[in-house]
Amino acid sequence: MASADKPINTDVPEKDVFALHFLQSLSNLRRQNTFNSPEKTNDRVKKIKKAAYVSMARAAGGTNRLWSRALLRRAAKENNKVVRLPRRKKRVTCLRRRRSNRRDPVEEEEAERLRNLVPGGGGMETSKLMEETAHYIKCLSMQVKVMQCLVDGLAPK
Amino acid sequence: MDVNEKEEFSGEKRNTSYDSADNHPSDWRISGSNPVSAPFGSYSTENLITASCSPSQMMDSFGQTLWYDPTNLQAVGYGGFSGGHPSSSSSSCFRGNMDRSLEMGWSMPNLLPPKGNGLFLPNASSFLPPSMAQLPADSGFIERAARFSLFSDMVNQPLAKPESVGLFLEGQCPSTEVNVGVAHNDASTAMKGPNVRSSEQASKPNVSEDTQSSGQKGGETSSKGFDSKKRKRNRQNSEADQSHKSEEEAENNGDKKRNDEQSPNSPGNKTNSGKQQGKQTSDPKHGYIHVRARRGQATNSHSLAERVRREKISERMKFLQDLVPGCNKVTGKAVMLDEIINYVQSLQRQVEFLSMKLATVNPQMDFNLEALLAKDVRELQLRGGSSSATPFPQNMPMVYPPLPHGFMQQTLSSIGRNISSPLSPINGGYKRQETNGWEGDLQNVIHINYGAGDVPSDPAAATASLPSSNMKVEP
Repeated sequence: MASADKPINTDVPEKDVFALHFLQSLSNLRRQNTFNSPEKTNDRVKKIKKAAYVSMARAAGGTNRLWSRALLRRAAKENNKVVRLPRRKKRVTCLRRRRSNRRDPVEEEEAERLRNLVPGGGGMETSKLMEETAHYIKCLSMQVKVMQCLVDGLAPK
Repeated sequence: MDVNEKEEFSGEKRNTSYDSADNHPSDWRISGSNPVSAPFGSYSTENLITASCSPSQMMDSFGQTLWYDPTNLQAVGYGGFSGGHPSSSSSSCFRGNMDRSLEMGWSMPNLLPPKGNGLFLPNASSFLPPSMAQLPADSGFIERAARFSLFSDMVNQPLAKPESVGLFLEGQCPSTEVNVGVAHNDASTAMKGPNVRSSEQASKPNVSEDTQSSGQKGGETSSKGFDSKKRKRNRQNSEADQSHKSEEEAENNGDKKRNDEQSPNSPGNKTNSGKQQGKQTSDPKHGYIHVRARRGQATNSHSLAERVRREKISERMKFLQDLVPGCNKVTGKAVMLDEIINYVQSLQRQVEFLSMKLATVNPQMDFNLEALLAKDVRELQLRGGSSSATPFPQNMPMVYPPLPHGFMQQTLSSIGRNISSPLSPINGGYKRQETNGWEGDLQNVIHINYGAGDVPSDPAAATASLPSSNMKVEP
């Protein structure tokens, strides 16, 4: 088990990439006929929120990250789309690790909460979960910045 | 909270482990913090875990106090050790010692909050004696005793030198070695502790030392010697043991009070050496692996794996700590995880809030942006595959080079610049815009879009105006 510690790679693309994806999804949303009706604001909100997450997942690394894959898959499921994601070899190890469950109960309790928060966290080992969480946090903060800028830009209207 | 939970958890484990002698060997190895001998003399009052004179008692005490981590093993070791003697045992004392010693020796102080010092009775000394002769018969008991002694060492001196332990063990009970070894193996398999391996490795050498020294004083050391003998590794460290022996004796002979002051010094040294020894032995896999094989492959590999896993998790926790703002002062996994969870939740809430805001503002957004972006999307798709499928390396902006170089610049003032500069490979370097500038650019873009033409309120009109806007956008 002695494995060399590989540096954790949590590089996130720049803001522009996120902005591009988000704006694309927003424009796609606008094209929908029922989108701009003054009523059904809640629907709009949900759609925009979903678009934000999906665009974030795409911008952050597409299917290279566990959480983004889970997010995209979840979104596709809602749309009743069949999503084919390239198989990753590491999945098997995740399953194997679950068998040897020697985890600290306290730590696992916290990890459980984290799993519920981070998309796709259910199938990850704790160490992998931490890594995904770090990347997820970075991407989330980037997405928040983009959205904030967008809102500020549009607010004066 | 963490401590309690872990204690309970460890308690469960202890119960299961104690039932079989197999657990002990693992404990021995894990505890490796300090030689058992030291604890007997010095720990007597505090360190010795007189929680249970009998295995059942130990189990109970462990259930209350045992820490999931190797520290628990220490506790267990103590409990078992005192099992032979009906000495008053205070689980609280044990806990206190364990906590203290753990804090001293281990790098997880937050996990073990100091809990007052209980009274420890130096039971270990009393019940060791006859064990020597009965070792073969009571291999399980001896193992337990040995383990306890090891644990006591660990408690006081988490880092014990494996060498001393090895030497001591071999010399004292050659006859029982085999039996003990077998018993240890069995016990080790039963033991389940994340850091059992590490602690065992660390404590082994120490235990042998302690047992040896204690035995000299009385029965304690003899039992310790037996226990340490179980460790095959100790053979390698026979020389070191003798040197440590003198130290241990001095310590043992010392006070019966709490050994906090003394233990930090010796444990620090011993623990380091123990850990190093453990690591060294694990890597070349000489005697340690040999012992492990006897006890059972499962436990050994698991404990090793557990150790590596824990190290990984702690490393990632540190990484997350840097990421989450305001977590530098927080130490400990539980609190840190709480903070991380709160931060993620707050970020998600922010996204939701901003999306709500955008929902109200959205209808007024310019449709020219759609056209502009549509072209980008087309370009990206032309490149081959959707952007989502494209792996995003660090120089992600380079993925978008196919976009016309001047497209963005013309249409989206500074935003276009921001996007196109990284997008165009010619430019090379990627320039990030400040948030303020970003907002300004966005606003400029919007203004431009609006200025380009009337913004139709309904999508139908918008699509009609798209071509016109396109024409305006492109030269």
